[in-house]
Amino acid sequence: MNEQDLIELVKNKDRTAFKTLVDTWQDMVYNTAIGILQNAEDAEDVSQEVFMKVYDSITSFKGESKFSTWLYRITVSKATDHIRKKKRKKRFAFIQSLYGKNDERDIDPPDFYHPGIALENKENGAILFDAIEQLSPNQKTAFVLNKMEQLSYKEISEVMNLSEAAVDALLQRAKDKLRKLLRNYYLLK
Amino acid sequence: MNEKDINRKIEEAMHSIDDISKASPVPFFFTRLEARMSLEKNAWYQLYSFFARPAMAFACICVIIILNLAVIFKTVNTGDTYSKQGSDIASVDEYSQVTTGLYELDK
Repeated sequence: MNEQDLIELVKNKDRTAFKTLVDTWQDMVYNTAIGILQNAEDAEDVSQEVFMKVYDSITSFKGESKFSTWLYRITVSKATDHIRKKKRKKRFAFIQSLYGKNDERDIDPPDFYHPGIALENKENGAILFDAIEQLSPNQKTAFVLNKMEQLSYKEISEVMNLSEAAVDALLQRAKDKLRKLLRNYYLLK
Repeated sequence: MNEKDINRKIEEAMHSIDDISKASPVPFFFTRLEARMSLEKNAWYQLYSFFARPAMAFACICVIIILNLAVIFKTVNTGDTYSKQGSDIASVDEYSQVTTGLYELDK
């Protein structure tokens, strides 16, 4: 079954086709989400939201772009929304604590270990992810799509609705900032 | 740590994710997804989600505060004579010293 047929079946709310679609794309969605969110539970949560959105609004997918591009757009948008909500939640943590509703752990562990990093690079990877967390949302998205999803500048530009030159500039600034942040880290160490 | 070491460390960190492999969700992702989808289709859950939204919760709190203020304002403006009467009655009750002692009961 090709991609187009699968999408048509999902548009008709076919459960088996939807399962096939999820099984095919879940790693891509989860990997992008975990790169942006740096938390396995949040990435799982966002991945579920992405596929729920796909199921509900696949009729709006007209095939003007590649299905993977559309899926990346939803993932990036949901992950960014999730970060925004989490920040808002942290702001209201004090009020929640007054009502004894602050049992949930809102603070992420200081070091995030990506499950796909080789053991010998684990420590360096954690330091780099800590620096990635300090990039602007756009820089972070471009960097994650380029380094973790191995997308080309053209593909990133389609996902982010930017020109290729803008993506190039964004990635250059991201790398410069990361080097600066890492320098500060090693100088203080 | 000298400048050379710092630069080497920076490059090591920058290249630490060059051969990164893709992360996968824990098994049975589709089962959990289906469970969540059926939960969120539930009418009660939708109602709860609607009222649990921050904007909605804030609006509800505002309505409650406005209603409370309206009641207080109304009471202050119209309840003077009533409260005076009430306090008079209360004071009569309070100061009427009806004592029934043992000797009085025997009479």
